[in-house]
Amino acid sequence: MAYRKKDRVIRQQPDRRANRTILIRTLILMGIFGLAVFVPLFFRLWQIQIDEYDKYRELVADQQTKDSTVEANRGTIYDATGTPLALSATVYNVQLSPKEIIACQEAYQDKVEEAKEKGKDPPDYPEPTNQFIAENLAAILDLEVDDILARLAKENSLYEMIKWRVEPEESDAVQTFITENHISGIYLMPTSKRYYPKGSLAAQVIGFVNPNVDNTGAYGVEALYEEELSGETGRVVTAKNGVGTEMLYWFEDYYDATDGDDLTLTIDATIQSFCESILKKGVEQFEVQDGGFCIAMDPNTGEILAWANSPTYDLNNYREVSDPVLLQYIEDVKNGGYTKEEAYLKALEEGATSQEAYDQAVSAAVYNAQLTQWRNRAINDTYEPGSTFKSLVLAAALEEGVVSESDHFYCSGSVEVAGYTIRCSDRQGHKDQDLAKAVANSCNPAFIAIGQRLGAEKFYDYLEDFGLLEPTGIDMQGEPKNDPVSAGLIWSRDFFTSAEGISSLATASFGQRLNLTPIQMLTAAAAVVNGGHLMKPYVVSQVTDANGNVVQHTEPTEVRQVVSEQTSERCRTILEKVVDGGTGKNARVEGYRIGGKTGSSEVGMEEDHTLVSFLGFAPADDPQVIILLAYDNPKPAFPGANSTAGGWYISGGNMAAPMAGELLENILDYLGVQKTYSATADVLVPNVTGMNLATATSTLKKNNLTLRTVGDGDTVTGQIPAQGASIPGGSEVVLYMGEEVPTDQVQVPSVVGLTLEQAQKKMEDAGLYLKAIGAADYSASTAYEQATAAGTLVDRGTAIEVRFSDSTASGGGGSGL
Amino acid sequence: MAKRKRDLTMEQQLARGPMDLPFLMLVLLLTGIGVIMVFSASFATAYYEGRDPAYYFLRQALFAGAGLAIMYVISKINYQTFRWMSVFALGLAILLLIAVLIPGIHTNRADGVRRWIAVPGLGTFQPSEIAKVAVIMYFSARLSKRNTEKPIRLSPRSNLSGIVGWLDKIGFLELIPYGLILLVIVFLMKLEPHMSGTILILAGAAAVLFAAGIKFYWFLLGGGAMGLLLALSMQGYQSTRILVWKDPWAYRQEGGYQIIQSLYAIGSGGLLGLGLGKSRQKFLYLPEPENDFIFAIVCEELGYIGAAIVILLFVLLIIRGYWLAVHARDRFGALLVVGITTLLAVQVFLNISVVTNLLPTTGISLPFFSYGGTALMIQLAEMGMVLSVSRQIPAPKQE
Repeated sequence: MAYRKKDRVIRQQPDRRANRTILIRTLILMGIFGLAVFVPLFFRLWQIQIDEYDKYRELVADQQTKDSTVEANRGTIYDATGTPLALSATVYNVQLSPKEIIACQEAYQDKVEEAKEKGKDPPDYPEPTNQFIAENLAAILDLEVDDILARLAKENSLYEMIKWRVEPEESDAVQTFITENHISGIYLMPTSKRYYPKGSLAAQVIGFVNPNVDNTGAYGVEALYEEELSGETGRVVTAKNGVGTEMLYWFEDYYDATDGDDLTLTIDATIQSFCESILKKGVEQFEVQDGGFCIAMDPNTGEILAWANSPTYDLNNYREVSDPVLLQYIEDVKNGGYTKEEAYLKALEEGATSQEAYDQAVSAAVYNAQLTQWRNRAINDTYEPGSTFKSLVLAAALEEGVVSESDHFYCSGSVEVAGYTIRCSDRQGHKDQDLAKAVANSCNPAFIAIGQRLGAEKFYDYLEDFGLLEPTGIDMQGEPKNDPVSAGLIWSRDFFTSAEGISSLATASFGQRLNLTPIQMLTAAAAVVNGGHLMKPYVVSQVTDANGNVVQHTEPTEVRQVVSEQTSERCRTILEKVVDGGTGKNARVEGYRIGGKTGSSEVGMEEDHTLVSFLGFAPADDPQVIILLAYDNPKPAFPGANSTAGGWYISGGNMAAPMAGELLENILDYLGVQKTYSATADVLVPNVTGMNLATATSTLKKNNLTLRTVGDGDTVTGQIPAQGASIPGGSEVVLYMGEEVPTDQVQVPSVVGLTLEQAQKKMEDAGLYLKAIGAADYSASTAYEQATAAGTLVDRGTAIEVRFSDSTASGGGGSGL
Repeated sequence: MAKRKRDLTMEQQLARGPMDLPFLMLVLLLTGIGVIMVFSASFATAYYEGRDPAYYFLRQALFAGAGLAIMYVISKINYQTFRWMSVFALGLAILLLIAVLIPGIHTNRADGVRRWIAVPGLGTFQPSEIAKVAVIMYFSARLSKRNTEKPIRLSPRSNLSGIVGWLDKIGFLELIPYGLILLVIVFLMKLEPHMSGTILILAGAAAVLFAAGIKFYWFLLGGGAMGLLLALSMQGYQSTRILVWKDPWAYRQEGGYQIIQSLYAIGSGGLLGLGLGKSRQKFLYLPEPENDFIFAIVCEELGYIGAAIVILLFVLLIIRGYWLAVHARDRFGALLVVGITTLLAVQVFLNISVVTNLLPTTGISLPFFSYGGTALMIQLAEMGMVLSVSRQIPAPKQE
């Protein structure tokens, strides 16, 4: 054991007791640290990983994934011919990420320094300072530089939206700016925008979407068909890291967006534009103060062909008030009218300063104007239909057999009902008139008599049958669904049929004191002329999904048969006479058979507030279109005046009828309805000179003209009358085939006192044409005046106007009623 | 001549005995798994820091290799030499603990904590790591000779003889040097500050003291004193930790975030885990996923099964450590192994408890797993010491 002494370490002494202690204590420690303390760890892990697994998995999924929505494309709205009226396109929101821009600026600095160190050129693009970014973006996006700077100053912000839904040219410019200057932190976030290619066309029908609420429909079809149009929003679930950056390579899940369905409307953009322009024209011409509406419908199916309201607005800029009448109203409020505004008075009451109150009054005025222009008054509001309603009374009376065409009515100018004197439009009275004449004259006493013959019970039955006590059920937003009786719009049956209701029966007979929506009136009138079928009107003919599959197709729905085919036919004949010489004669269009009924209703109890309207349909023998055109409140020249400052007599016959005539002509032309000319209808002579005989013959035939040739050439070398002359239909045009055209003048013969036939013969013999004017029914009239005096020398082939006297009195414009 | 015949002393022959294979295997296994987990947990961090995704992995693997080499070298050393080395080790540890407080030597951190010393080429290391081993070494060496220490003999006439006698009898006098050493270290560590390190040093020291046979009541007393100190320091920052611990969701901003993310990671692992490398929480959610909270990533990727296996490996290693202690050739070896093993056990337990929010957050890393080169090397060096002790365990007699 000698070596031990050399050991530098002092050895421990063997000690059995100490060793034993260590053994025991080590075993204790082993028990504690080798076993005991780890047991709770197993339990704890079990608790977290197994027991609470679902909870944590959910929390973690929430945290680790970015759930972004994929907007479904909103469906397109087409008109009946497939022209898009509303469509969605992708546009971009411009978004800044100040935090990233700062990083980008720092990176730029690093590059500059690095370049300096290595002796290279600095980056060849400008430094992306806040000022630089703000100035450029402001210039592109038409924003204020300071505003953008303020946004950029929010250094910790990741998202600063600076402009929503910028147009493609702006977003392209921003993209170019970003690329050229290598800027990170400016984003273009795709979103969708609704475009209305036709601007204001059918604005109240189509409606618009609210871009602030995910482009959900706010008005019109956009709102009513929201579910179909919007489609289903899709989702993209991506993994993201702790600071929110997406990790696309990690995992990604798509839930496809289902694009919205497309709608095809029954509205025809062309007819719609006809209606809108005629409405606009009338509003301007007649100084109409409260706008108007014009609905065109296919009476056989209930399809709405056009639906125009005035005032209107641009769907692409729905907040802007552009209607001149509304602008004037806002202007008036600004220039003093505000003192009368409710908002102004209320604000003052609440202690606002006069400036604040003024501002409130103006913004309230703008708001009112917006609501007015958005409103589809032809379905949201009711009106008193006035004389147009007589068409329904006529149909009811004919159907019930209480009147017939041979019945005569006497009008003294007024009639007394239950103590009230009700006057006719013609103060002198229409005297004796048959049924057709009474309708053509829009004679109130006659209709009161017809109503009385019908009786209150029957009358009320027909109110119901014509659907006036129920909504039409049209797929249009805003049809009042409440009961019109409880709403006070129409009398209850009990009242109407009671003794006190007798005056109501009288006023109802000529369409006053009862309120209908325009669409109700039109639908009912369509039933009168279409063979008695009350059709359910509709505007959406088809819903197709994104793949073009038809999801829903609207078939014409007949609600009920109200009157018989025969009654309907009789009504058409009678109503045609309204246009053919009656109160609606201004709606007459040569070549087209138009039927209709004028209306001039007093609105409520207001002074000088008249709603002039015209209900028209054509062709009268087989109606293809029925229209209801109304102007609300043409401005009288002075209080109490019965004409406007422009000299227009305020009545349906003088205002709505001529406009309706023009409109119907346009529509019928567009629909391809051939003009048919009666023997007397004037036609324009077309140019046939230079054509061969066959072409010339067919051209003339098309224009309802006959021909006679002089000479035997192959080509027409001359014609009488010349192109553009207006001569009665069926007249003979002389074609010179190689022969000289005689240039001599002829003497006008006298035809006064002759019948039409005799006069025509005489004129023809003289080488002239007769143009009959004046009477509707020439069979019973004689010529009493000729425009060109007998003996005058005129060119061969000239049309001489001859006025024929009418044996019956001509109906004037239906003032009042 | 006789000496020449036997080139090696008996000591040397003993030191050449075989290492304990089960212990070695467990160490290698855990180191291997640890390095792989560092790779998995760190590549996202490295990527987002703009580094090569394998940056942390390669460094850790390099240190693991070096550490294993060091372990082998140390295991070859006759552990008896650690007896005298321990004095210097302790001296060095205290010097380093003082040095780390000097500006210029410790690394500069925003929070003003002075725990690390930068070593060029190696990165940083904590002097407290050295202190842990040094304390265990010195205490083991000293306590192994407990029975040979001469009791202090005062003259029976001295006034103090009664008290000293009593103090000696209750074992107080014996504890004074240990107490003083610990007080110095605790004081120095408090200045860093470094509470978790302090806890570990105290735990290691206590284990050695306990195994050496120091009377139970001293531990009760010491534990009580520690508890009291903890309770007193439970103000401000420290008390927030308790609140966060109780309800991390309510104190998300005050430090709850990390523990929440850790729980998310563990919880979403489920029974089988997301698969190696497939953690999602390491993508900037869980702060320091390759460091103190690496076990959360282990749970997330390997599931309950994987986590349990890892803990089980630790348990086996620890039990094997104690087994080696029990069979050690002498008391010094036994105490040394007990100290190192207990230190390891406490560290594993505390780390996993923190990660699972069983205990309030303290910055204790997981041995063999947490990223950190020097810590891993020191850890493996400690294992080398254990292995060194294991070499001298006499083979069972063959009957």
